[in-house]
Amino acid sequence: MNTTQDFDNDFEIKWCPGCGNFGILDAMKNAFSNLDLAPKDVLLISGIGQAAKTPHFLNCNMFHTLHGRALAVATGAKIANHDLTIVVNSGDGDCYGEGGNHFMNAVRRNLDLTVLVHNNLVYGLTQGQASPTSKMGFVTKMQKHGVIAEPFNPLTIALNLGAGFVARGFSNNREHTRQLIEDGIKHQGFALIDIVQPCPTYNKVNTHSWYKKRAQDLYADNYVPDDLENALAMAQQWDDSIPIGIYYQKAGPTFTDRIGKLADGSLISQKYDASKLDSYLSVS
Amino acid sequence: MIIGGEAGQGIQTVGDLLATVCWKMGLYITVVNDFESRIRGGHSFVQLRISEHPNAAPSHKVHILAALNPKTVELHRGDLSEGGLVLLDGEESADTGVMAIPFSKIAGEVGGKIMTNTVVAGAILGILGTPFNLFEELLIKKFGKKSQEVLDNNIAAARRGFDSIGDFSFKNELTWEKKNPVGLLMTGNKAVALGAVAGDCRFSAFYPMSPGTGIMNELVALTDDFPLVVEQVEDELAAVNMILGASYSGIRSMTATSGGGFSLMVEGLGLAGITETPILIVNAQRPGPATGLPTRTGQPDLQFTIHASQDEFPRFVFAPGSPAEAFDLVVKSLHLADKYQVPVVLLTDQYLTDSLFTLDRPLKTPAAIDRFITTDEDLDNPESYERYAFTESGVSPRVLPSQGKALCVASGNEHTPDGHLNEDADNRKRMMDKRNAKLPAMQEEMSAPSGYFEDSDVLLVGWGSTKGAMREAVDLLREQGQMVGCLNFTDMWPFPVAHCQRLLSGAKRFIMVEQNSSSQLGLLIREQTGRLFDGKVLKYDGRPFFPIEIVEEILAIIG
Repeated sequence: MNTTQDFDNDFEIKWCPGCGNFGILDAMKNAFSNLDLAPKDVLLISGIGQAAKTPHFLNCNMFHTLHGRALAVATGAKIANHDLTIVVNSGDGDCYGEGGNHFMNAVRRNLDLTVLVHNNLVYGLTQGQASPTSKMGFVTKMQKHGVIAEPFNPLTIALNLGAGFVARGFSNNREHTRQLIEDGIKHQGFALIDIVQPCPTYNKVNTHSWYKKRAQDLYADNYVPDDLENALAMAQQWDDSIPIGIYYQKAGPTFTDRIGKLADGSLISQKYDASKLDSYLSVS
Repeated sequence: MIIGGEAGQGIQTVGDLLATVCWKMGLYITVVNDFESRIRGGHSFVQLRISEHPNAAPSHKVHILAALNPKTVELHRGDLSEGGLVLLDGEESADTGVMAIPFSKIAGEVGGKIMTNTVVAGAILGILGTPFNLFEELLIKKFGKKSQEVLDNNIAAARRGFDSIGDFSFKNELTWEKKNPVGLLMTGNKAVALGAVAGDCRFSAFYPMSPGTGIMNELVALTDDFPLVVEQVEDELAAVNMILGASYSGIRSMTATSGGGFSLMVEGLGLAGITETPILIVNAQRPGPATGLPTRTGQPDLQFTIHASQDEFPRFVFAPGSPAEAFDLVVKSLHLADKYQVPVVLLTDQYLTDSLFTLDRPLKTPAAIDRFITTDEDLDNPESYERYAFTESGVSPRVLPSQGKALCVASGNEHTPDGHLNEDADNRKRMMDKRNAKLPAMQEEMSAPSGYFEDSDVLLVGWGSTKGAMREAVDLLREQGQMVGCLNFTDMWPFPVAHCQRLLSGAKRFIMVEQNSSSQLGLLIREQTGRLFDGKVLKYDGRPFFPIEIVEEILAIIG
């Protein structure tokens, strides 16, 4: 039996005190050990940002890549070895800004992996600029008259592109977030978990107490996550209440299921056979 | 010969049919496609060279000009050799030098205008004196699997075309003695794709861009027979990062693009550099910058490729001079990428990738593939394994994720040996030195440029696809009493300094022959050896070199 301690490492955590990332890190370790995964069984892939540093703070396989590119790297890693359990740590800037095109196309492909988007509505690593999810009017040093574009709604976009697992968590609700991560990993297909979180340093609007007042269990009123229209309506909510839970889930073949070649086993496990080239290289 | 008309008239098909018939009879073929970036209309043509002796470049001598429209006659008449023949689609021609044959009308009569290309091919083979049964056999092979009607119509079209020239006789060197094919007939595209599977490439992601797309077309065609997945993805950023992910996971991976797409991939090239992840990128060059000339050729990206990405890291750069070299260098690239854990860029160009050549030697597959992968069994304590352990060679033992207890921890941030990000000054310097420590051994892997009369006083020096044209130019110059030779580089970076110094040491003068505007290899030779070239023959109009152009410019330089 694997425990959360198996995923501990002694690497110094480089986040500000009070950062929502701590709750997500804790939820990840608990989810992995609950699923009885060993460090060798898990591959974490991340882009760039405060969220993308997360893999360094766990003991497991990891690839800390480039800004926005985590999902592209993860796609290649999964095609090469579809037996891997891949979890991507990304942020609102990384996944929805720099990596927006990769995000939309990863949803379309329905690759079997779990994406945790640490969504704090602001850029932390680059010191407090607006992010794609910042609300209209959000004032920063760079956006001194406030943001003048509509915010990116990752949930409605993922739902509209056919995502089979769309969820929202709140970093402070560690147990709930842990459960979402476990459900996401168990889901066969692309699992988006957008986790709202405070940034105590750069976001003075969407604070811990701001979220605490709004975060509400999606299932309080017998919600069933099998209706796309309901999910889309629920995904519009934000200002007064932020539902947390799985908005929508449906089963279906994943990207690697649809690649006929992989039915014989993962690409990494197949054998090299140069003799198959003979007919191509023969002149007659 | 030249066959020309509008895009969409099937000109390329005529070229392929003629090339295949002639190749089967043991003749040497080169087919160069010249087309605009459009699907219909405009002007396209194929230059087809058929000879009983080896050839590896287009010729300026046009003996037959087959025109599917009058514009082709207008544009290419000046290229015709003395005694050359013009065939024009039409009932009759007032022009005495033009033989009118109603290609499209004949096609209409035997089954539809779509058969025009078969009629044209039939007429040209008739003129060349080819036995008709050779063409018939090819058509049976090509259309036999389709309906009997399609086959019958094509044979009828071929026969009518063949007979349309009547008893006209055209003097040419071809004897049509039955011989076997002299070597594979292949485009550079196909050679790259076959080299990829021979080198155990199992994944390729791409975004379409001419002329790189042709490589992917050929690779896709191989997916049914090999453990290979090819995916078209959202952009070149995704393509390069997907092959990085696949390689990190444990399989050999590549992508192909052209200069613009390669520009987007440069970010990923750097990630491969600092994370020491083997990847292969093929940059099929075309003239730029930006969109430039999408369907044309050039060698404008050598200096860019050597330096691409911010900061410094080891990489290999290769540039094949023929399809056979392309096949071998793709196999070598995939091997060296794994051996040194570095990215490799292979530079081809539109001329090499899209043209059809007769190979001068057989292609050989490697007997086995060495992946240079470490497993738990190789380690005393897998749990203390470090992905970027310092070693004398700079190459650290490489494990794959989830294949054992040893964890694969990789980071594009500067990192300590355990793969975790770190900004210490001392560690940064040691990691840079570790990666750069691979360079001396990498340089040892580089082959010398191939020489042709390399002991001559005057050497022509080039790289990549100009090899065929340069060697023929050397032959032509020697026929005129100019005792020149040439050197053709394929292994570009790390620059083979010692080989270059040795081969140039005997030459009194050397003249660069390149398809860019600044002589990028010439500048590199000066930088790396201190020797400055004595002249340069540069062509950067988007068209491949004719050997005669090189001859004329060399004569002007050496007098």
